Formats: sequence, C-alpha cells, structure tokens
Amino acid sequence: MNPLLAQFLAEANDLLASVDDGLLQLERNPGDPELVNEVFRAAHTFKGSSGLFDFPELTRLTHAAEDLLDAVRGGRLALDSGMVDDLLAAFDLIRGWLAHVTTHERLPATAGNDAAGLITKLRAPLGGGPEAADQDQGPAVVRRIDPPPDWLAELGTQWLIETATWLDTTSSTLRFLRYLPDRDCFFRAEDPLHLVRQVPGLDKLVVIRPDEWPSIEDYDEYACLLSFVLATRASAGELDYLFRYVPDQVAVVELDAAAINRHLAGEDEEEAAPVAEAGAEPLHVDAELAADARAVLTAAHRTLAVGEPSGTQLLALTGSVVSAAYALGVPLDLTGADREAVNAAIEGVLGRAPAEGAAQPPGVDPPVLEQLAARPAPEPAGRADDAGGQVGTRVLKVDQEKVDRLMELVGELNVAKNGLTFLAAAAEEEFGSRALSRRIKDQYAGLHRIAEELQAAVMDVRMLPLSVAFSRFPRLVRDLSRRLGKTIELVTEGEDTMADKDVIEALGDPLVHLVRNSLDHGIETSGERVAAGKPATARLTLAAVADGDAVLVEVSDDGRGVDPERVKRKAYEKGLISEEELESLTDTEAVDLVFRPGFSTADQVSDLSGRGVGMDAVRASVEKLGGSVTMRSQLGSGTTTRLRLPLSMAVTQVMVVSVGGQRFGIPVDLVVETVRVPAAEMGRVLHQDVVVMRGEVVPVIDLARALEMPWSQEESRDRAVLVVSVNGQRVGLLVEQFHREVDVILKPMEGLLAHAAEFSGTALLGDGLVLLVLNLKEVLGLAARVA
Amino acid sequence: MTRVLVVDDAATVRLYHTSLLREAGFEVAEAANGLEAVEAAMIDSYDLFVVDVNMPKMNGYTCVETLRSETVGTAAPVLMISTEDRPGDADRAYQAGANLYLVKPVSAERLVRVATMLTTGKGPDA
Repeated sequence: MNPLLAQFLAEANDLLASVDDGLLQLERNPGDPELVNEVFRAAHTFKGSSGLFDFPELTRLTHAAEDLLDAVRGGRLALDSGMVDDLLAAFDLIRGWLAHVTTHERLPATAGNDAAGLITKLRAPLGGGPEAADQDQGPAVVRRIDPPPDWLAELGTQWLIETATWLDTTSSTLRFLRYLPDRDCFFRAEDPLHLVRQVPGLDKLVVIRPDEWPSIEDYDEYACLLSFVLATRASAGELDYLFRYVPDQVAVVELDAAAINRHLAGEDEEEAAPVAEAGAEPLHVDAELAADARAVLTAAHRTLAVGEPSGTQLLALTGSVVSAAYALGVPLDLTGADREAVNAAIEGVLGRAPAEGAAQPPGVDPPVLEQLAARPAPEPAGRADDAGGQVGTRVLKVDQEKVDRLMELVGELNVAKNGLTFLAAAAEEEFGSRALSRRIKDQYAGLHRIAEELQAAVMDVRMLPLSVAFSRFPRLVRDLSRRLGKTIELVTEGEDTMADKDVIEALGDPLVHLVRNSLDHGIETSGERVAAGKPATARLTLAAVADGDAVLVEVSDDGRGVDPERVKRKAYEKGLISEEELESLTDTEAVDLVFRPGFSTADQVSDLSGRGVGMDAVRASVEKLGGSVTMRSQLGSGTTTRLRLPLSMAVTQVMVVSVGGQRFGIPVDLVVETVRVPAAEMGRVLHQDVVVMRGEVVPVIDLARALEMPWSQEESRDRAVLVVSVNGQRVGLLVEQFHREVDVILKPMEGLLAHAAEFSGTALLGDGLVLLVLNLKEVLGLAARVA
Repeated sequence: MTRVLVVDDAATVRLYHTSLLREAGFEVAEAANGLEAVEAAMIDSYDLFVVDVNMPKMNGYTCVETLRSETVGTAAPVLMISTEDRPGDADRAYQAGANLYLVKPVSAERLVRVATMLTTGKGPDA
C-alpha cells in the first residue's frame, strides 16, 4: 500500500471515531456550535483527503454530509434525530468501505448504489432532493476518454475484447499505461520492475521485449531494453504519485469500451502501416506554466480591484506579480511601485503575454477536476462484506504484532535467564567451583533486574484505557434503546483505567452481551417504570476500576432486577437443579444460576440478545481470560454484573505442585492456602475425603486419581493439601509436594493435546521442562466423574 | 534552499503536498493549523506558504491575514489550496493576502510548477 493511502486510512480511523462521538453528543445538545463544527470539520477533511484518491463515491457522500452539516452550522437547519441517523448511517457505510479499501485498495463495487440513497436522504433537508444529488453527480458523468494508442495491441486482442465487453456492461473505464524506461535508467537508481509491481489495482501487465536482442558482442547487461504496458484501476492521482520520478517515460490513457473497440476495429487496417508514435498526454509544460502565471496575475489584478491591500499584502502581491511575469518571459522591476504602478504593470503583462490558455479561469484546475470525476471500474463480483471491520491501523501506532513479538521475546529471555540458576547449581555440584557458581548468580541477579524492567516496559506499551472497550456503547445503547422504545441514559465511569490490550479486546464481546441483556430484559419500558414509581429514564452504568493486579468492570442497570424464585423455577423446569436445590438455594445462589449453560430467563427469544448464547457464554469467555463474573440483583431495583479480569494476560503467576513425580501449575489467583494435614485429621463424609479447617468442612480431591495417575499417598505422612477457590467454592487438592511460584507465559495447548480440557496451557520453565497448567474447573469435573 | 511551510489539518493532504515538494528539492516544514503556522512564521522565515482554508483553531483566511499583518509581516508568496469551490472564496483569499488560490486536489506537477514559479524570478531586490 502506498504511504499516502496508509496515512489516509489511519487518519480516517481517527476521524470516524470523532464523528460518531460528536454526532451522539450533538443529539443531546443539538445547539452546540462547537460540536457541529467538529463534526463538520471531520466530514470536510474526509472530503478533501478522499479527493487525492480515486474514490468519487466517498467524495460525493462526504460532500453531501458536509453540506448538511454546513447548513446546520450556518443556522439554516435544525438538526433532528432523523438527520443524525442518516449521518451515522453515512459514516457507517464509509467505515465499511474503508475496511474494504484496507484490504483491496479500492472501494467495493456496490459503493455507488449504496451511496445513492443516502446522498438523497442527506440532501433532502436542504430542499435538494434527488435532483440536487444528480446535479452533484454531474461532473462524474463527464469522463475524459483518450484516443486509443497503438500500443494497446500489446495487451492481446482476446483480452481486449473481453475487457471491452466488461467495460461496456459496467459503463466504466480503465486506465492504460505504457512505461518505456530509459536505456540507462539503472544508473539513476530507477527500478522499473519494482515500480510496475507497485501499481495498485493492476489488471493486466505485459512485459515487452525488444524486437531484436543485440548480438552477444554488443549486448550491454546494464542497459534496460524492456518496456511495460499495463491496465489498472488505479486513479490518475495514484499513478501520478507512483511515477513521479519518471513522468517523461510514462504515457497514461483512460479508455472506455468504445475506445477499445475503435482500437480493435482499426487494428487490422494499420497492421502493415509503420507504427506512429501517438503521445497519449502531450506535455505542454510551457503552456501550463503560462496558464498558472496568468492565474497569479489575474488574482493580483482582482485583489487590487476589490480591496485595499496593506503594506505587506501589497509587497507580497508585487512579488508574486514579478515572479509570474518572469515565468512569462517578461522581467519586471517593480521595486517601490505603488498600487497603480503594479496594476498598470499587470495589465501590461496580461496584454503582452502570449494568449495561451487564456480560457482557463484562475483557481480552477481542469485536469484534476476531470481526474476526480473519473470513476473506478467496479469489480466484477461484489465483495462488500467487510462492514464493521477495522479501518487502517489501530490506535497503537505500532503494529500490534510487533508488540506481541516483543512480548514473546521477553518470555524467552526470562526462560533463558532462569537457565542461569541451573548453570550455577551445576557449576557448584558438577565442577566443584563455588566461586564460579557465585559469579553466575551475580550475573543472574543483574540480568534478572533488566529482564523484569524490560517486561514491565513492554507490558506498559500494551496497556490501553478501558475507554477503548467502552467507546462502542453510546452508539449501541442509543440504537437499541430506540428500537426497544425505551429511554436510557448511559453513564460511563473510570474509562481511564488501564488494562492489557488483550484483556481490553477480549472484554468487548462479554460487555456487549451484558449491555444487550440489560437493555433487553433488565430495563423496563418507560410506562412500566413510571407505574413502578421509578424515573421514566433508565440508567445504565459501565464502570471500571483498578483493583490491585485486576480490573473490575461493572455493568449495572436500575431495571426490574432478577427474580430469584422465577430463576429457580426455570432452572428446575429445565432440569438444571434438583428438587432439594429448589428448596435450599439462597437468593444469591439462585441468581448465579443464570450463568448455567442452557439457561435463559427471557420467555421469548429476542433478536437483540441473540439466540442460543446466554450468560454462560459470558462466564466462559471471562474465565478463559482468567477472570470471574458475578451478578448481584435486587428485585425491582436493578442488577449489577461484575467482571473481574487480570490486568494483563501476558504473564501468569502459577503455583507449582507435583504429584507422582510430575509437576503441574495452578494459577495463583485460585490458590487460597497451602496446608499440611496430619493423616489422622483427614475425615470422610459420604465417600468424600474432607478436611476441617477453622470450623469449615472442605472437600479434598485426590489430584492423582482425578488425572488417573498411578500414585498413592504413604499412609503415615502428612497430607499436602492445596486449598483453592473455584466458582466461589473451597476445594482441597491432595498433592505430593508444593514447589515455588513462578511467572510464566502461558501458551495454549496445541496439536494432539488441544482437546485436553483439563489443561489450560503449557509454559516453559527455566530448566527447559514443560509445565502443564491445570484448568481446575475441568479437573474438578473429572474428579466428580471418577468418584 | 527554498523553504516552504505546508499548513493543513488533514495529515494525508499534508503528507501529499510535503512529499511532492520535498522531492522537487524544497525544504519543507509542516503546520497542522493556522495558529501553528503563525507561530512557525514568527520563529523562522519561509519563502513560500502553502495554506489550507478550513482548519481548526485558526482558519486559512485568518492565518494569511495574520502572516501579512504587522505581527508577523512576511511578504513571502502564499498559495492557498482549498476544498471549497464557491464563488467568493477566492476573493476572500486574495483580500487576506494570498497570491494564488487553487482547488484541491492539485496535481503533482502543478503544485511543484506553481511553487517553483512563485519562489523564483523576483529579481535582485525582492
């Protein structure tokens, strides 16, 4: 992708974000001139920048949006929510287009049709209606069709016939380019092949060999004898930019079906005739320079006619007149000249200078306007399904993959660093050198400090504010609440809280789900609310706060709340709980049932919350991140769902335990404590080993049995029990031995083990051993089955 | 070397103009709005200003007026390049003190041609 387009996409991404934000705020404060101005400017910048590329639909659409906003800005129109809808729709469409541009470097084929309706809508409040939209499209219909050059034949008759047919059906045009590199171009560091390969939207490329190669004695391998003919959908501006170093070696023509057919028809007749060099775009540099110079003079003349230039203004004007006159070959000396003298000089030059290009009005650039008007050829098959995709680069101005790579390297550095401790031990034990061992340990300490700092630095780069995850919700809440006919005020708090980018990204879907649930099921209609004595406008709060090495995100509403009795009954009907549980479950436990797979309280499945995925999906994805989710609800006054997530997923702290000589890792977050229990104090209740700790009965699971490992505890020894908390329940794990805690970079299970759900991943230890990290929830499930 | 200040709030347009002018051998500095341009002009001197019209903080017209005012007082040529093509816009630019008003997008050759023309041939005194 050329740097200009990349820059445009990055800028567009920022602009789209500020437009969405601005429009939503505007709807609430319709009169705010600052906001109108901001959105207007974004649309304006879009229009201006899009003109550099061959995106006429984009230019037209942003133009329509800009005109509407300009009318609002000028007080000629009052912004209503219908207009905001149209504007949002327009920018959504643009977002989709740009996602397509990011991958294909051109607008989708359907762009023209997609835009037409919106343009009409946007123009309607201006009293324009469809006529105005058509008028606006006026210049686009005027295309400059060049005479077909003879070198078109290089592309092959068959291809030309096919292309002409296709151009005819789509009423579009294609640009054809011939590039004749100079013989000695290599000495000027030109790379013709590289240049040709960079042509965007390349349709066909033909490399032309010389008619006759020189004999071997005369052959000069440093001379370029090849030339190129190609067909492309690229805009004139892009080609201009690409071939800016070699403009004199390039000829570009824009042709439609008729022109190609003319060429095909004429081909036979001219076959025998000597090939005439038909310069496609004859460059009259002098004439163009003269036109520009005359434009400067005309401007100066006009300035003197309408205004009273101040000292500096007159000085500058005089300077420009001298420059322009010089360019026209009429040197002037206007030192110290006054208005009248300058005016007379201008009239003199304008009268004397050659009348070349006099028809061109100042300030207008016909070739560029025509370039702008040219439309790109629509692609044969529409692939416009990129809507909602990412546009250009992300907020992180560094490619994310690079940061990820850096993180991986930090992990590898840690592993390599840990290897030094084993080396130190070996130095002492195997080679008997305590001094060497100590020096290695010193080195290790230094390296360790640097590695830790490096890790912290890289983690810091990956930190993003929660506002990135929250930013989509104003729009989502607005659209959904309108569809549901509910009035909802969205409040966000703690957007500045930072978390790792992976956490932020992974948070998106669960949050959307929770917010939709609140809107759909939790929050009542205004009528119901008023009847219940609540304010008609509901309140939905998204709040984030840092809590040690975790971040808490809460979604709360002041809706109808969850009815624990109804939840229990539903769960019982669906066979999720037993009859005893129906009786014994507390309200808190009942509310937690909504996270069970297969549970859904809504009597009708609405299209908002989606089908088949419920809160269990939320819990599963949050737990996958190493977090937890809990729900508190007060019947009649609202529900709060709290997500607790690690600040960073890159490094996991695990406790290492061993059983049967095999080491396993257990996430430290889940560990409550480690205890050694004398064999005699182990109890047994209903076939279940238990241990009583501080008056609480904790079930104990034999890890070896759960994993079907051959190991049994020596009867006499104290039992090593690791107490963990899973789903709010305390469970003891019987293990052989406790080891230290280590920071590891968790890698997902791959290959044959990918389906082994009892492990959440693997990590490489410093001594080169692979540590399996347990997924305790699954392990407990296995234990229950084994028992 | 001939020094140019490119003033535009749109980063893409700025990159376009800047790279074209740099390749043509100009020394180019950038400013993202009128205010930045005025500040730059007070610190350094430039041989040419390429100014956009619609910009935040200070628009192009005010920027050019300020460049020509006693505060800054530069008589260097000003080329205004705007997206607007409405009657009266060019006049406003000329009254502010611009020397040429063009409508975006300006072709690569034309930008370089006009920039070169406006910065040469002034004779020994200018």
